[in-house]
Amino acid sequence: MSTPATDFNEREFVICQISRLVDDKYIYWVGGGGEPMNSVLLAKRMSAPNLQYLTEDGCVGPEARVPFDPLMTMISSPANYRALQWGTMNYAADLAQLGYVDYGILATLQVDRYGNVNSTVVGKYEGGEGRRFGGPGGADSIAALAWRTILVTDQQKRKFVDRVDFISSPGFLDGPGARERHGLPPGTGPWRVYTPWAMFGYGADCQLMIQAIAPFVTLEQVLEEMSFKPAIAPKLEILEVPTEEELMILRTQIDVGGQVTDRGRWIEFKDGKYRFATP
Amino acid sequence: MRILEEGKTDYLKVDPDGYRASVRDHKPHQMVSKLMTHKEAVERFVRDGDYLAYDCNYFQRGPSSLIREIIRQRKKNLWLCGKFTYVACALLVEAGCADRIDIGFIGFGPWIARAVREKKCTIYEYSNALMTLRLKAGAMGIPFMPTRSFGGTDGFQHSGCKTVEDPFTGKPVLLLPALNPDVSIIHVHQADEFGNARVFGTGIAHAECALASKRVIVSAEEIVATDEFRRDPARTSIAHFTVDAVVHAPFGAYPGTVQGYYASDPMGVIEAMGAMFRGDFTEYLKKHVYSVASHDEYLQKVVGTEKLAEIRRRETIREGYAS
Repeated sequence: MSTPATDFNEREFVICQISRLVDDKYIYWVGGGGEPMNSVLLAKRMSAPNLQYLTEDGCVGPEARVPFDPLMTMISSPANYRALQWGTMNYAADLAQLGYVDYGILATLQVDRYGNVNSTVVGKYEGGEGRRFGGPGGADSIAALAWRTILVTDQQKRKFVDRVDFISSPGFLDGPGARERHGLPPGTGPWRVYTPWAMFGYGADCQLMIQAIAPFVTLEQVLEEMSFKPAIAPKLEILEVPTEEELMILRTQIDVGGQVTDRGRWIEFKDGKYRFATP
Repeated sequence: MRILEEGKTDYLKVDPDGYRASVRDHKPHQMVSKLMTHKEAVERFVRDGDYLAYDCNYFQRGPSSLIREIIRQRKKNLWLCGKFTYVACALLVEAGCADRIDIGFIGFGPWIARAVREKKCTIYEYSNALMTLRLKAGAMGIPFMPTRSFGGTDGFQHSGCKTVEDPFTGKPVLLLPALNPDVSIIHVHQADEFGNARVFGTGIAHAECALASKRVIVSAEEIVATDEFRRDPARTSIAHFTVDAVVHAPFGAYPGTVQGYYASDPMGVIEAMGAMFRGDFTEYLKKHVYSVASHDEYLQKVVGTEKLAEIRRRETIREGYAS
């Protein structure tokens, strides 16, 4: 069943990438819905049956009954089904502050060189001039307190900027030592950024470094969709495509209504290589 | 303690002594019946200019029927605790009820930037958990809560937080101002007439809201006998003496879900979200708030018994939610 798939879309690709990192040896805090939630739901069915994840409402280790109604990724009986424990938000935040959360998984609007996250405003903050978004929500607690943070965003110029317009949730702020200077716990911070085209890590200078790309894009294409030039790993890896089994579970059990995976371009295997499907 | 850095915006005045005095002088220390209608509860306990916290949100075990009643009564100048919420802040601002928001996460769309540009609304920046921690401090009767998040963000500059040198470790730590809302509205599964209340399943900060707020309105799916609480005291989430009003509100969270009781109504959820993203609530408010005089009338005329039966039927999970 671990046959490489020949047809999938960008969002399915990125969900499968993150899902494969998820391991039941660790405790995760999953931000909201979207790709992060879909990734852990997939991992639970693939590789991590005893997956322990938390959501913002203090739900510990549920065996969620999917698919969810629109927006019902928390404080609903299917999302919280067969959990080990039910708590509230301060409980989730306390667990993270205590060091129990090994990994946080977050989707975001905009990220910069140091992994700082913007989910507040694109453009100018003052006077309501910029385009306003919802705010950090639970992401600030995750980004500040989880040992490692995994970020998901789109591969677009406007989403990868030299400096975010507004730091809603902290990455490495302005470099080594900055998190500690601002009172954040030592040894925490961004670890990976995933997009449908690439995977990034961080160098010793706390700056974004491209580590792997998808088989359907070139390095040049990825760099084209960034507003700054990141460091490039000495050995650039190629990310593995989704398997038929992953896609079957994702499409038939998890994102049945296509709430998450109905956006993004399609990729096909044609003439011996993966490429964007031409409509 | 040496202050290293301070946020630059307004925050609700921190006054633990004043709050203690209000608990002594105004909280109902005696077991008295507080059952009343939505209309009476909001008339008596929500005042223009109040700092209002609502727990959960318009879609997830939130006091949606009380929010609609606040709009119906055209309350003014409320300051909102915007944690873990989608459309409720937008509804209250667009209906002219609220003009300040402490933001953890709110539903956005064009309405919020427009409200700020038009000076209809002032916003302050926090995060969801920072707001629930502020409420926790308020619920403990202390002036602030230290936390190890939020430092180094731009939100900090637009908040009432301070970074100080921790006198115990010598390291920087962030202090959040305690929050004691004037009024909290909380939707629960069960309450008795005195205000003892039970929430089943996860939540945001219902216990903190009840303890931290000067006035508390609880709306409940079911009104049960006090003996129910005595039978299983560990499951009491909120104690009667924190509560000022108990409102019987079956389907009070509609279009949202109440875990174990009924599912959300996706059509109703998307209708509200759609209004928010379009930035036009005129029709939504007309249909869902102003066209009826009460929650009962709303359920009968706007939602309809068929829809209510359907969302009850669609909620098939009972484990952990039955008393």
